[in-house]
Amino acid sequence: MEKTINRILIANRGVPAVRVMHTCIDRKILTTAVYSTPDRLAHHVTMADSAVYIGEAPPGDSYLNMDRIIDAALQSGADAIHPGWGFLAENHEFAQRVLDAGLIWIGPSPEVIRLMGDKIAAKEIVQQAGVPTIPGINNVATVNEIIDWMQREDVEYPVMIKAAAGGGGKGMVKVEHEDELPQALARVRSESKKSFGDDKVLVEKYIERGRHIEVQIAADNYGNVIHLGERECTIQRRNQKIIEEAPSPSLTPELREEICGKAVTLMKAINYSSAGTVEFLFDSATNKYYFLEVNTRLQVEHGITELITGLDIVRIMIDVARGKKLAFQQEDIHPNRWALEVRLNAEDPRTFSPSFGWLTRLTEPHGPGVRISSGVYEGALIPSYYDSLLMLIMATGPDREAAIRVMDRCLSRNLRVEGVKTLAPLLLSIIRHPAFMCGDFSTRFIEENMTDLISTFVENGDEDEALKVAHYVAAISALGPQDWM
Amino acid sequence: MKDAIFVRPGMSAGEIVSRVRNLPGVCFTSTGMRDAGQSDYKNRLRFYDLITLAPFYNRMGLFSAECHGGARWHVGIMNRRENPFDEIRHLRQQMPNVLLQTLIRETNLWGYRPYPKNVIEYVIGNVDIDVWRCFSFLNDIRNMRVAAEVVMKRGKLFSPAISFTQADWADDAYYLSVVKDIVSLCGGVDEIILVIKDMAGVGSPSRITTLVDTIKQAYPELVIQYHRHATDGLALPALLAAARAGAKILDVEEDSLTRFYGQPPLLGVHAYLEEAGIPVHLNVAQAAAAVEKVREWINQYHWAESPFKGLDYRVHQHRMPGGAFPSSFEQAEKGGFLHLMPAILTVMSLFNQIIKYFDVTPGSQITWTTCNGIVNRYAKENGEAGVRHLIALLESFVLEKKQDFDAMTPEEQKELLTLFRQAPGDFKNLLLGQYGKLPMGWPADWVYKSTFDKDWKEAIANREEESPLDLLDDEDLTEIRQQLADQLGRRPTQEEFILFLMHPKDALDYFGFRVKYGESPYVLPTNVWREGLHNTGDAVEFEINGKPFSIELVSIGAEHEGVIHVIMKVNNKTRVFTVDTPRAKKTEVRMAKGCNDVGSPINGTLWRLGNTKRGVLKVGDIVHKGEEIANIEAMKMETAILAPFDAQVVEIAAKVNDIVKEGQLLFVLEEKE
Repeated sequence: MEKTINRILIANRGVPAVRVMHTCIDRKILTTAVYSTPDRLAHHVTMADSAVYIGEAPPGDSYLNMDRIIDAALQSGADAIHPGWGFLAENHEFAQRVLDAGLIWIGPSPEVIRLMGDKIAAKEIVQQAGVPTIPGINNVATVNEIIDWMQREDVEYPVMIKAAAGGGGKGMVKVEHEDELPQALARVRSESKKSFGDDKVLVEKYIERGRHIEVQIAADNYGNVIHLGERECTIQRRNQKIIEEAPSPSLTPELREEICGKAVTLMKAINYSSAGTVEFLFDSATNKYYFLEVNTRLQVEHGITELITGLDIVRIMIDVARGKKLAFQQEDIHPNRWALEVRLNAEDPRTFSPSFGWLTRLTEPHGPGVRISSGVYEGALIPSYYDSLLMLIMATGPDREAAIRVMDRCLSRNLRVEGVKTLAPLLLSIIRHPAFMCGDFSTRFIEENMTDLISTFVENGDEDEALKVAHYVAAISALGPQDWM
Repeated sequence: MKDAIFVRPGMSAGEIVSRVRNLPGVCFTSTGMRDAGQSDYKNRLRFYDLITLAPFYNRMGLFSAECHGGARWHVGIMNRRENPFDEIRHLRQQMPNVLLQTLIRETNLWGYRPYPKNVIEYVIGNVDIDVWRCFSFLNDIRNMRVAAEVVMKRGKLFSPAISFTQADWADDAYYLSVVKDIVSLCGGVDEIILVIKDMAGVGSPSRITTLVDTIKQAYPELVIQYHRHATDGLALPALLAAARAGAKILDVEEDSLTRFYGQPPLLGVHAYLEEAGIPVHLNVAQAAAAVEKVREWINQYHWAESPFKGLDYRVHQHRMPGGAFPSSFEQAEKGGFLHLMPAILTVMSLFNQIIKYFDVTPGSQITWTTCNGIVNRYAKENGEAGVRHLIALLESFVLEKKQDFDAMTPEEQKELLTLFRQAPGDFKNLLLGQYGKLPMGWPADWVYKSTFDKDWKEAIANREEESPLDLLDDEDLTEIRQQLADQLGRRPTQEEFILFLMHPKDALDYFGFRVKYGESPYVLPTNVWREGLHNTGDAVEFEINGKPFSIELVSIGAEHEGVIHVIMKVNNKTRVFTVDTPRAKKTEVRMAKGCNDVGSPINGTLWRLGNTKRGVLKVGDIVHKGEEIANIEAMKMETAILAPFDAQVVEIAAKVNDIVKEGQLLFVLEEKE
């Protein structure tokens, strides 16, 4: 039975909220935005058809506040909630409460979210489904358990400590030496408790120089599970992706088919519906791949899959939530382009220290082969409380080289951000790096090449130079001749 | 005159010298781009304006353009915020025909301390200059050795200068001995041009005639150039006298740049010499055009002129060089002792008879600081009467008693013996021989007693007879470059490194200025550079890489809490600029500096002090190496701060939930055994 959706509340802010609204507008569905105090004038709020204030700046008071959000949905007459990514997107309790409130949850079922959210439980199911996993130990509470396991299974450092409930690169610490174990374990448990409300931890062998590959899945409530190809998200800093591309430059057609097939098998096994992603760690040295996790939500980098397949994944999610069948089958999916995405975060490109404040100037890139997914506008405030993502810049071309060229144009000539620092200089250095150009990199690419990358930063154009002159003229006009003259 | 160019960059030193010899009359060096601006405008003439003369210089038929060196280098980075290397590049482009000339202080180059051999070699080897004029304020030719070697080896023209003054002790025999040293250092007379550097402007026509004549008789083939300041008002006849006696090159400046203390006016000298029957090699039309060009911008520099204007014949006594004249008056004005200037000049004229050397950098600064220190001390202690007393004492000693110390009364002797007690360190170094030999030998013993008190014998015993060149060990250039790299946070360019070698502190300050304000010193017209924009609609236009830019003032806000908002249109886009006033309330963030300071590694929220095990940390607590003492959260990522060593907490500089900056001080610790 198909349900009707007239209005969707988007339980998010910034880039994801705006992205979901775009499809809603296309589909003539009304939107409700929610916002916290510092987001009063945020882009997603003005863009929505209506907006509801949900609390103070700290996420716990606003964007993680389930009661407020559900109230807002009911109050604004929404019949569905889309969680975007981050915040409550992978919170099974929230999904359940949305359903309990009589609203439509746009995403996989609460059961699947819960199952896959528990890394330990997920790993067991995955193993049963015949998908390889990284050697590891679950439910770790003490340092000795880790040491015993390492001796027993003959595992060597480094190892990775992960929050069982974690995701998105948070709650993960790499440990190089036994001395660091107590500290790292305590930190992951604390972070996990704070971010995910659960301090269960697992430890895995760390795959050196691994690559991060994930498969985009679309599934309906009728057992149809289709993959939309893979993405490569190997370029990361501090375990968070900053450059993604589709397809992956590191897979042979055979391996691609095998990994995508495994992802479909797994998602069928857990009865998945809506859009989701199966993440793998790929060891290019041995050509082995290991299951990492299932992301039971829309992902940041879904846009590049949309670009190479021509599909709208948010639309698929809405349709599946309404009870529709997938409108295509596996053989209809023919990726025919290369797409690249960079995450333009408001961060110092040298230290990754977040940069807050007002975006005094913003010129977005445009031109052939460009898609911009922005969460901000010129003049917007970047508050210190939330994710530092300003916009996603996507570039496409018939092949990888062409897509990189388009991205180079975007970052070197078209883009202009003033007021906050961004990763742009680093992103440009990366896509110009010979190792990146030929596809030879691992998740440690940035840490291994940081000095090299910083030395090739191009930060100033002529306009920046003119602004320095203007800054001088302003100072002298205001203050008059200076003593040092 | 169709093609006035007779020497050009790239020619060998020998060829240049022989072309000058073969000229029928004399030719000119224009000091318009260097000494002219130093003497009357304290080196404040900006490259933005000076470069407008380049096209005329390029066709004027000059021997050279003195455009570099001296104090122009230092004032460039410190006050005009210009890089001497940028200047050379642009001049090469816009006047490729002209020999570019610098002025160096032998072992000091453009800095204020003697450099060892390897620094001199490195620096001279990496600055693109054709004519290297080099002087020693002591005429200690030994100090020129390395500079001469490097310049001549590179095929550039070495132009040694003798520092000239008119005094009874500075006779022709003395100068001839200096020239002899120079000729022997440079291996003859065919690849050098000898300069008589009359930096105060005191050479009388007859004195200059005999000096040039004496040198020419001893070295008929030696090309002589006369550099004279105009301070005493007798420059033109002195130049004519030099030319008649055989000098081939004269230093001049554009007539419209001429004020009081620089070089004599180009067109005037040209007319005067031609009338006297001496041909002058000059494209007069181009020269006149340059003179006209100066008028377009020179009126913007009234603020840079000396507060003391007018010629000063008394320079024959006090001998302050043209280049130091305006800056001394400026210093006196700023220091509030302008009224003491006549007394200081008088004391200088007596001082230079007691301790004999040449008043040119750094000697002129030593004279100036020593004498103004003494006069100020007397003025402070006993007012005008004290100053009168000081002058009477010195006049009695120098003029009446002919410096016979024993002829003074015991009381006067006692006073003289404290005269130099508070003299500056450079004066002491001079007496200790750190700059080289004094031209007339060491001063009398009482000067040492007066300066060094009980240690005077030791000072004399330690007096250095060698040249500083032979005293200084080579410096580790790699290490100095690394120091600069550490300061900049990146590898410095070769030019940045040389700037740093000359003036370490000011160079760093300059680099910081340019990072912040970019091309401002080069693209802004002088009125805007100095005063900014005043009224709504006032605009300034400039180009960067050939692209036009426009800045138009909309409004300047009122000061509020130490901040002024300036609204301007930059290429038609309205922008708000925040300017901190000197009164800006500095919400000072203390940064971690010392090794006992623990700073935040990132920007974020300090959400925990201490750790889960021990709870909150307090001042006085003992922490152990590697123990978590705080935790910073940014974007939901935690970063633990660990104790760097076993320590006691001396101070906790932040509170829980503070938003802290990268590098901000969190703890001060004290290491425990």
